[in-house]
Amino acid sequence: MPFFKKKKKENETKTVQQQEVKKEHLSEQIEEYLTKLESTESEDQIHIFNMLGSLYFEMEDHDNAIKYYEKSIDQNKTLGKVFTDLIKLYNIKRKEATKEGDREAVQVYLQKSDDLMKLTKDTIRGNM
Amino acid sequence: MVVIDFIINSILTQASITIALIAFAGLLLQRKPFGEVMSGSFKTMLGFLVLSAGSSIIVGSLLYFGDIFSEGFGMEGIVPSIEAINGQAMNDLGLANQIALTFLAIFIFNIILARFTRWKYIFLTGQAILWMATMTTVFGSAAGLSGIGLILVGGLVGGVFAVAMPAIAQPIVKKITGTDDIALGHFCTIGYMFAAGISKVVGKNSDSTENIKFPKGLGFLSDTYLSVAMVMVPLYVITSIFAGGEFGSELSGDVNYIVYAFLQAVQFVVGVYVLLSGVRLLLAEIVPAFRGIALKVVPDAKPALDCPVLFPYAPNAVTAGFITTTIGTVIAMFVLPWFGLAMILPGMLTNFFAGGTAGIFMNAVGGKRGVLIGGIAHGFFITLLPALLVPHLNSLGFVNTTATDVDTVTAGLLFEWFIQPIMNLFA
Repeated sequence: MPFFKKKKKENETKTVQQQEVKKEHLSEQIEEYLTKLESTESEDQIHIFNMLGSLYFEMEDHDNAIKYYEKSIDQNKTLGKVFTDLIKLYNIKRKEATKEGDREAVQVYLQKSDDLMKLTKDTIRGNM
Repeated sequence: MVVIDFIINSILTQASITIALIAFAGLLLQRKPFGEVMSGSFKTMLGFLVLSAGSSIIVGSLLYFGDIFSEGFGMEGIVPSIEAINGQAMNDLGLANQIALTFLAIFIFNIILARFTRWKYIFLTGQAILWMATMTTVFGSAAGLSGIGLILVGGLVGGVFAVAMPAIAQPIVKKITGTDDIALGHFCTIGYMFAAGISKVVGKNSDSTENIKFPKGLGFLSDTYLSVAMVMVPLYVITSIFAGGEFGSELSGDVNYIVYAFLQAVQFVVGVYVLLSGVRLLLAEIVPAFRGIALKVVPDAKPALDCPVLFPYAPNAVTAGFITTTIGTVIAMFVLPWFGLAMILPGMLTNFFAGGTAGIFMNAVGGKRGVLIGGIAHGFFITLLPALLVPHLNSLGFVNTTATDVDTVTAGLLFEWFIQPIMNLFA
């Protein structure tokens, strides 16, 4: 039995290490895109906003993920990952607010979900 | 005594005032500032009165349509509109107070069921709950229930639907979204599951709809009211031509009978517009409060959101589902009268939202072929169920209309087929 325990501990250490490496890698990518953003014309910005939103989401930095995804949606309303990730992010933030007992934030994120769904309705009809 | 009599007989019988008082109590309970309590209560009353005004416009237009349809085709032509059912139930049947209280009871039962059962769903689509409350109240009262019993039974049935519908849809929703954290809160779920079942059987190995390139030609759908008008105007005008000038002129007076039919169709659209604005005002104060309370009481709740939550996952499937469902509703319109059922005209709002969402379900399990065949079957199904309600709705005094949203229709049938016979046993 001690043998298995040792192996489990080794695995856990490995996973923590892997996560750290992954986070480092994500941070590097984010830095790269932030630099690119400063020197990019508006048309390419949408792609960079989407990448930043996605990378921050993976990093579990939800506020920044929302910030860049919302910037992206302001400029381009193509239905896809930005919309689906944003709904998930609003739900995560709403859950956090519920846990903290922050009533106002709960309503803010519920309202944001409502607005996003209204935008989805309008966009899908506009595309037909 | 005089004062109490005055309050009971002159104030509390006015639905707009009692509904405002319910909002007043709710806002006070949330310890809102007095200014907000007053403005919120007033807005709720205003919402109810706007809703009533919309309902009168719709009823006027439907009465006219019923007359020309019977004259032109010798049968009943039923316009499916849950908005019209709600408006008539609240105003003409005098069930407004009961509907408002059942609406609150559904919220409460939803919270209780989510808190104490495995179904952790909180139904966040307020408008859909209002439609459900309407159906349970109308059919509950027809079954012989009244007073607190009517509200509690309606609340329990609605509350069970509010957790059960997201629960039965969740396996497919999970497949579509890739997460178990978000659920679907739309009372057309029985139709989605029916459509998905057909799609799964017929659509094995079929390619996804997202690989199709659709031509852009459905621009008229970009506006809710324009899309309703696109169906209602031709329906009214063609029907008036079949009814003939002589009959049409009796109703239209000095105005040309075809022009009158056109204007009446537009009146229907105006009625839906006004009624839905009223519903939004009415729910604006109550729904956020409920959501806050519900999510606090059930911290691990899965929010069940309105159907557009799924649209970004498969936009093509929405278009394809809408088209195939519409085909199914048109087929059902002609086929159902052969079996002695009423002719149900296609409802564009339901076809778009329910058809579109069914498209996503069908695509997830059966691809293109699934959406084509399943969609037609879905259109037939969501016309058949409302058609079964028509005789009962007619006998209750509803004018040329039936409910949409198949889960609310199912709740109505549940009352008619099971609860009413049980009530009769004890009567």
